[in-house]
Amino acid sequence: MPTKYLVVFAQSHSDFRIPELKSIAELHGFPLHLPDPCDPNRPFMVIELDQEEHARLLAKRCILIKSISEFYGQGDNYDQLHAAVRKNEALWEQYKQDTSFRFSVAAYNHSITKSRQREVMESFGYMEFLGRIDLKSPTIVLGCYEEYGDTRGKEFSNKVVDGQFRQVYFGRLIEEGSARALISRFDVKKRAYFGNTSMEAEISLLMANQCLARPGSLVYDPFMGTGSMAYPTSHFGSFVVGSDIDGRQMRGKGKQPTPGVLRAAAQYGTAHRIVDLLTFDVTRNPWRCGGLFDAIVTDPPYGVRAGAKRLGRRRSPTPKQLEAYLEHQAAPRPADQPYIPPTKPYELSELARDLVVLARYLLKPEGRLVFFLPTVNDEYEDVDIYTMLCEGMELIANSLQDFGSWGRRLVTIKKITSDIYPIPFSDNSGQSQSTAQHEPAHKDFREKYFQGFRKGSTSLYDGVVQ
Amino acid sequence: MVRLITHNLLSCHAKGCTTNNFPLQFKDAEIEHREADFNPEFIRGLLPKIEWKALVDTAKELGDTSLPYEQPEMMDDELLKTLHHVLLEMHVEEGQMICPNCNHVYPISNGIPNMLLAEHEIA
Ligand SMILES: C[S@@+](CC[C@H](N)C(=O)[O-])C[C@H]1O[C@@H](n2cnc3c(N)ncnc32)[C@H](O)[C@@H]1O
Ligand SMILES: [Zn+2]
Repeated sequence: MPTKYLVVFAQSHSDFRIPELKSIAELHGFPLHLPDPCDPNRPFMVIELDQEEHARLLAKRCILIKSISEFYGQGDNYDQLHAAVRKNEALWEQYKQDTSFRFSVAAYNHSITKSRQREVMESFGYMEFLGRIDLKSPTIVLGCYEEYGDTRGKEFSNKVVDGQFRQVYFGRLIEEGSARALISRFDVKKRAYFGNTSMEAEISLLMANQCLARPGSLVYDPFMGTGSMAYPTSHFGSFVVGSDIDGRQMRGKGKQPTPGVLRAAAQYGTAHRIVDLLTFDVTRNPWRCGGLFDAIVTDPPYGVRAGAKRLGRRRSPTPKQLEAYLEHQAAPRPADQPYIPPTKPYELSELARDLVVLARYLLKPEGRLVFFLPTVNDEYEDVDIYTMLCEGMELIANSLQDFGSWGRRLVTIKKITSDIYPIPFSDNSGQSQSTAQHEPAHKDFREKYFQGFRKGSTSLYDGVVQ
Repeated sequence: MVRLITHNLLSCHAKGCTTNNFPLQFKDAEIEHREADFNPEFIRGLLPKIEWKALVDTAKELGDTSLPYEQPEMMDDELLKTLHHVLLEMHVEEGQMICPNCNHVYPISNGIPNMLLAEHEIA
């Protein structure tokens, strides 16, 4: 019989909460029942699970969970709450006789004075807990949480008033969210190797959860850079393959023979799970066959810091370039001075579509593609995401990380087919055929970014410095 | 790195090079052995994608003859361990991979192969 659990979320990335819960339930293969309606922007959520163990699994792996409790009741005010808790006596009467316990009274977006905390605790007197009160190591912790409305960005009149909460919840603590500690463990600044394209720890951990990283799964990052996705995924047991058009991103500067990505992975004890690092343009990739990876997880280049490139030239080479190229061709190159072929820019909406088609080819059936897509918030429409899907690829989640005028969306797509598709880019033109009529808001993102997202901007490709 | 598992999944992708472009031949390979987690499920999951003959031949070139020439029908634990060693614990750190068809040279430095194509090798 499903039981109700109270999830307390961390105060960040609300759009990622539900996708993460669903992913971790799927990873462990247990059913998860979300409330209906379900508002992910509220910091408390009552969900249903079949077993207490499932609640523990969620709390151990979900980055956004602060704690999970067995749910005893909620209310608009304390009268309602107490009525609900009394009704659920069957859930807590087993603890009445001789279980040591402690109360915790907390609030979201407010802090409650010690004296009122005591008042709240005393109001639960009817539960008649006879066990010892133990502040240090009680057998059970009973938690009461008042939820105050968000005041950020609102009028002064919306100021928080003590006791005027939106909702109050009560339950027995099952497990504190232990995965949040990983955010500091994977802190980029403490990493042996990182760069200006490195992804912040919390987001890369969320990505690892979206791609169901687990022992023995094979994960690929085709835009590896400094390897931010590789560390949390390999931490969760995945084997990781990375490639990048620019080997220097993976190696790092300096004379150390060990590539930077391996030095960072060694720090986390997962270097042996970084299967290989390779230098190539993913649109000209040497993979012999498809159906290889359980997940592709990546932060594609969107041209603000690390511009998307592909092999080829924007225009014909100048006589000087041609000369350099012929020279390269004639003389064998020492390994530390690799030939660096010319590249041309790669438009974001084209790249995103290509990535989905490539993932359909390279993923195993049921495999997931997890990647970021930057968009101009004012212009974004959900249809933008659908313009880049293709047959056999289904959208699982789409979470916004909001930066004001722009944002980036973490997109999770699942391969729902086991049909074999032809190798993408095999016509060797490297061009994708766009059939979509709709112009998504992430089209020409780089130009819009540099123009401050002014309306009516035109593409400036050839003028933009790489 | 380059490990044989990866090597077994790569073929030459130069323009027009579509037949006899696998497996790439190692030249001047400098090999290191490094221990890796043994995960039998991972190895089993990979097997359908592995070209057995290419794997055996390549391992032999690199001096490891522990795999049987014919792919056994049944994978017992011992064989999985041998496979684990060949696929994941032998690293080619320096050297080259050469296409048997077009002779394209893919240099390996500090374990990272450079598989970028030059301008005349893409269409
Ligand atoms: C946003 S960065 C990825 C950052 C990475 N997640 C990290 O932790 O540093 C994008 C990367 O894509 C690479 N890149 C750009 N175009 C590429 C292409 N066509 N094929 C492969 N890699 C490419 C860039 O060299 C850059 O390292
Ligand atoms: Zn070739």
